[in-house]
Amino acid sequence: MDTPEGWDLTGKKAVISADRRGWTGFFAAALTEAGADVAIIGSESSDMEDAKNKASSNGRKVITKTTDLMSKESIDQSIQNIVNDFGTIDILVNNAKADFGKRFEQVSESEFDTLIDFNLKSMFLTCQSVGHTMLKNKKGHIVNMTSDLAVRGLWNSVIPCASEGAIHQLTSSLALEWGRDGIRVNGIGAGWLTTQNKSDAAEPDLLDRYLPSKRKGHPNDLTQMLVYLSSDSCDFVNGQTIFIDGGALAHA
Amino acid sequence: MLEKLTLLNKTVVITGGGTGLGREMCLAMARAGADLVIAARRLEPIEEVSNLVRGLGRKSLAISTDATNTSDIKALFDTVLTEFGKVDVLFNNAGIVREDSAKPIWEISDESWKIGIDVNLSTAFYCSREISKHMADNGGGKIVNVSSGFGFRGGRDNYMYAAGKGGIVNLTRAMATSLGRYGITTNCIVPGFIPTEVTDPNSERAKQRGRFIPIGRVGQPSEMGPLAVYLASSASDYMNGEFFAIDGGGLAGGIAPTLHAPEIPLEI
Repeated sequence: MDTPEGWDLTGKKAVISADRRGWTGFFAAALTEAGADVAIIGSESSDMEDAKNKASSNGRKVITKTTDLMSKESIDQSIQNIVNDFGTIDILVNNAKADFGKRFEQVSESEFDTLIDFNLKSMFLTCQSVGHTMLKNKKGHIVNMTSDLAVRGLWNSVIPCASEGAIHQLTSSLALEWGRDGIRVNGIGAGWLTTQNKSDAAEPDLLDRYLPSKRKGHPNDLTQMLVYLSSDSCDFVNGQTIFIDGGALAHA
Repeated sequence: MLEKLTLLNKTVVITGGGTGLGREMCLAMARAGADLVIAARRLEPIEEVSNLVRGLGRKSLAISTDATNTSDIKALFDTVLTEFGKVDVLFNNAGIVREDSAKPIWEISDESWKIGIDVNLSTAFYCSREISKHMADNGGGKIVNVSSGFGFRGGRDNYMYAAGKGGIVNLTRAMATSLGRYGITTNCIVPGFIPTEVTDPNSERAKQRGRFIPIGRVGQPSEMGPLAVYLASSASDYMNGEFFAIDGGGLAGGIAPTLHAPEIPLEI
């Protein structure tokens, strides 16, 4: 079909970070379907290669750069390589996220540091690194992927929740600071996602019954919003985190 | 992925669609393929929009409706169901700021208060109540409420608008929670400062009026288009009970201008 009005990324150059959750491919494929070339950054153990495969069928350029998302040096080098290769960067999608569940009193200092470094510091580093190019261009779109846990708590998840809350505020305040430089910073807050096609209808688990949508989400439930927030048609949208969660937050 | 953004064969009903943001949302949805029923009190502006929609090759009706009057609303949806057979999407877009409302609280009459709350809040409830049973029987539907930045914060001498639009916010949550099980999603657009008379976003006037908006300009009505299409389309099916601010960052920093915080070195 023709690209619907407002959802065109033709000729745009995007960077997306990968993790181990298996969602990166759906997001990267959405960006290429809308017309963007995509560079994926992440570790060897991430879903980077799977993402490359999923995104490559749309006739756009898709490259991967092995990157340690907790290292400024590694990120700066990858971003520089991507700028050399693509000529510029228009879109940054901070997708990579780690998670763990443990009672708060048992969380070690190194678990705290690793989680915060991977979820939050990596976002600081990629925004800063890509920001140099966007500030020069006086144009750019940053989309920070976060979750309902940015604004609500969860047992055994104090540190992941704290990292998501921090990302929420990084999004709002960076949007203010870079707003007049033509850069838009927004976020997408995911609800409970699964990459399985649908929940087992015969035995809906507790969460399925509790959600107003009566089903868990899929990364594809977020893809059109990702394209919108990456496109020029969202120019008046800034500093927002949009929650796509089947109504879970309306309940909370 | 992008094919989900089509509105072909969808019937959209919108209140207050004759001017400003409503008009632009109508035209964008028509270009995406929707048939449109436009309801407002004054017939002339909605007839004009309806003609434009028909010019785009879509079915359209303009129906003069007082959305604060429940028998008018019943008549509206009876006509829609007769003519179109179904309603897929409802946009609760009606709202007013009355000239006489910007007064100290002790000067606001009972009548002003009641009309303000009726137009800004009750119309959304009445229309949703009228059509949600049909949507549920039809396997689902989408309701989009239109609030305002004033739904989340106060405004000086701005009682009915702020209270009504704040009511819209929590009505959205209540409907999202309650109607989700029938396949009906309810979401809410939160427009910032989008004056309809400013047509060039880069003009000095737009910049002057947008000096306290983080991106440095006011919004344009046409910027509502892609968002309206998204919320009316099946692309947003997993979004429910959500608020979408389109305000240039106005709500991200609260209400005060925050662009000139001082630089202070970190010392431990």
